[in-house]
Amino acid sequence: MSQATVSRDTVQRGTGRRGALARRLGGREGVAGWAILAVLVLIAVLAPVLAPHGVNTIDDSRILAGPDLSHPFGYDDLGRDLLSRVLYAYRVSLGISIGSVLLAMVVGIPVGVLAGYAGGWTDMLLMRGIDLLLAFPALLLAISLIAILGPGTLVALIAIAVIYVPIMARVVRSSVLVVRGQPYVTGARARGATHLAIIRGHVLPNAIGPVLVQASVLMAFAIVIEAALSFLGLGSQPPTPELGLMLAEGNDYVTTAPWVEVFPGLAIAVTVLAFNLIGDGLRRSFDPNWIAR
Amino acid sequence: MNARLGYVVRRILLTIPVLFVTSVFVFLLIRLVPGDPVRTMLGMRATPQNVATVRAQLGLDHSLPEQYWDWLRGALHGDLGTDFVSHEQITSLLGQALPVTLELTVLAMLLALLVGVPVGVLVAARAGWVRRISSGFVIAAISIPDFWLGIMLVLLFTGALRALPPTGWVPLTQDPVQNLRFIILPVVTLAAGQSAYLLRTTSAAMLGTLGEPYVAFLRAKGLRQRSVIYLHALRNASGPIVTVTGIQFGVLLGGAIVIENLFALPGVGTLVVTAINARDYVVVQGGVLVIAFLFIGVNLVTDIVHGLLDPRVVEAGAR
Amino acid sequence: MTSQPLLEFRNASVDYATSGGTLSAVRDVTLTLAAGETFGLVGESGCGKTTLSMALMGLLPPAARVSGEILFRGASLGTLAEPARRELRGNQISMIFQDPATSLDPTFGVGFQVAETIRAHRDVSRKQAKARALRLLAEVGIPDAAARYADPPHRLSGGMRQRVVLAAALANEPALLLADEPTTALDVTIQAQILDLLADLQRDHGTTILLIGHDLGVIAQVCDRVGVMYAGQLVEVAATAELFAAPKHPYTRALLGALPTRAHGPGRLPVIPGQVPDLTRPPAGCRFKDRCPAAMNVCDTGPALVTGADGHAVACWLDPAADGPAPEGSATAAPVTLEGGGDD
Repeated sequence: MSQATVSRDTVQRGTGRRGALARRLGGREGVAGWAILAVLVLIAVLAPVLAPHGVNTIDDSRILAGPDLSHPFGYDDLGRDLLSRVLYAYRVSLGISIGSVLLAMVVGIPVGVLAGYAGGWTDMLLMRGIDLLLAFPALLLAISLIAILGPGTLVALIAIAVIYVPIMARVVRSSVLVVRGQPYVTGARARGATHLAIIRGHVLPNAIGPVLVQASVLMAFAIVIEAALSFLGLGSQPPTPELGLMLAEGNDYVTTAPWVEVFPGLAIAVTVLAFNLIGDGLRRSFDPNWIAR
Repeated sequence: MNARLGYVVRRILLTIPVLFVTSVFVFLLIRLVPGDPVRTMLGMRATPQNVATVRAQLGLDHSLPEQYWDWLRGALHGDLGTDFVSHEQITSLLGQALPVTLELTVLAMLLALLVGVPVGVLVAARAGWVRRISSGFVIAAISIPDFWLGIMLVLLFTGALRALPPTGWVPLTQDPVQNLRFIILPVVTLAAGQSAYLLRTTSAAMLGTLGEPYVAFLRAKGLRQRSVIYLHALRNASGPIVTVTGIQFGVLLGGAIVIENLFALPGVGTLVVTAINARDYVVVQGGVLVIAFLFIGVNLVTDIVHGLLDPRVVEAGAR
Repeated sequence: MTSQPLLEFRNASVDYATSGGTLSAVRDVTLTLAAGETFGLVGESGCGKTTLSMALMGLLPPAARVSGEILFRGASLGTLAEPARRELRGNQISMIFQDPATSLDPTFGVGFQVAETIRAHRDVSRKQAKARALRLLAEVGIPDAAARYADPPHRLSGGMRQRVVLAAALANEPALLLADEPTTALDVTIQAQILDLLADLQRDHGTTILLIGHDLGVIAQVCDRVGVMYAGQLVEVAATAELFAAPKHPYTRALLGALPTRAHGPGRLPVIPGQVPDLTRPPAGCRFKDRCPAAMNVCDTGPALVTGADGHAVACWLDPAADGPAPEGSATAAPVTLEGGGDD
């Protein structure tokens, strides 16, 4: 896929009108994705207000009981309200996915810019390091890190950030390489612009597109990865409400009490879907060939 | 032909340093555990004598490079150490677990390719609503976590239909039919998400190649549409498909770790996770190494296949 | 031996359904090509010359609608189903395109790409096809054809690749070859070689060539007759020398007048004022009227292409005799290309 680059002066600013906004979000899919995400973030933030029952409130008589009027998602294997747990679990899921990607960006973007801009030995060295990290299947690397540091929510966040740093760095580096070769950069140098000014004015604005697209995709996967880690017992620990953990806890009862597995899983799928839609929308809005209908 | 052979040899040779560095990295894993790994491993049995014994056993009292050299020598001779809990040779543990993981991942990847690529080609050849439906399907399929899909499949096939067992294992060599019964749900679970990826990659790559100028000349030569699509376009599109397959195999391996746990398959993934929970670092080291090497090996194969399909890659590799 | 023309366009039109309305790319083209001649079709980018040839090949996108008739060897192509049209392509009617770098599949050997054209239309074995392909490659001037048979296209130079393309196009001895700007993407020296090759091949195989281009110099060199198109209309057709010496249509005159020659001297070169009309809202009648220095009210109703006794055809209401002498500049001036953006 070719990347069109523009010098900073022609990067378009949004106008704020609705049509323009829909275009920037990349069409119907993008708007739908952002809408869903907005709802989920609200849920996460307002969980204490929205949750009808306590997260750890146990009702012994209703262990694995099915959904009823006051407990629309049913009860889990300890008699806790599933709906409340799912609502609170969004805090962990969204927190980890957004947090890990942000952390990966904080580390990965400078690395990518450095490698792409400086070139030469720096680039080679950094690339070798990145390739080494990428030689491992992502989940395996995360598991290995957790093996060293011990399980936990924060550890999971860091582990995911670590596996995302090389991916981010690579995306940034490709962007940087494209821009660096453009005539207007040479022109800027000839006019006496400093490296920093060029990076700030030309490199970063053009890298922002691919980075954002990649970030949204990575956030989508972070949810799944951290759910998987918790499912394996390596992420969040009980009694933290966490979607993957809930899936693990209820797995033995799936045939008798399917709601224990259905709802947390759906919750994960909806979140991943939202991020994927956002990513698709962003990809389209940055594609110079895309014409909004 | 000579250029191709050179490319293959070069690829293989380039893999060796990767294997080496990976092994160093994995080796350092144990040594990175904060605190004393031996005490953590032994847990309640961490008496000073035991600690000293295990230390000596693991060679932790030697210098770091010495330790690595010892370990490497042992590894090359097929000795990856002993699981100090069960006193089994790690190599034999891995030897039993690896075929399970291999069967699972290879079958899953094959199934994903067999479903994803042809459907992707068909979707690219048609226009309009077919493509819209397929892209919607792909997004939905990608969004579903594979282990949740596995659970749902168990719900359906074990709970509702009572057709397949939820867990268990019989080796392929022992009883192929039973083996199939145990492996079919895990394989389908893993393959589902991957086939969606391959579908998307294939259809995007095919659309790309079908828009290339040489396709106009192929049509002008009066070639059948079938030839244009399957002989020419697909070959040109195969580059991205092969590359994505390689990358996705890594994702597949990661997914396999989780799926093995879900279906209680005695593969390397289960071995590693159990070992982590038991603080059995030596086993962790061996298992991680095997999976990492497997991934590197698969990437080597996909690189070679890519080179065989597209002569430009061979030239680029020569530089 | 029939005196039936090889190719006939009868009021051929091509319209595209676009989001901005119906685009009239070609309107009412009537043209006849005889067997064995070399015909040049000139016009600036977007005038419809490539569209017309693609309509002949049947390779237009689905959004295009062809009306009127295109007859090849007396048979109307519009009545043929797709399999029958495919039988003609690469077999009786071949087409080569502008950029040889992108005409060949990068993942297959050049020899294979010639051989597959043969096997698509002849019932021969792979070995026979390969042998014939080798002979063709030698005939178009590829040195050491046997060694280069398996080379992928990127190992050959641009000129070599265009020769391979020609070999594939002529593999089945087509009666008609459409050459869409075959030399535009090549160096001037290679251009001359390819044009010579075309002439040789035509002489040896008796192929009729329809050469499309905007380089008047190339056209003048190679073609027996020339047709001029503007905004989808065929405005003038004449023998090459006649067209350059005594053009009758105001557009042709302005075109030739814009060719820079020594006679122009210092100062600005003459240009044709105005712009090509928007083909989604094409003007009625003559499409050049808004830029024509001699436009009249009657130009709102289409002048048809009228052929004079000497075979010189022009679509204009003007009395040809009443206009001034031919403009300066002659066919042997340095090749000048007409500027314009976009594809036909």
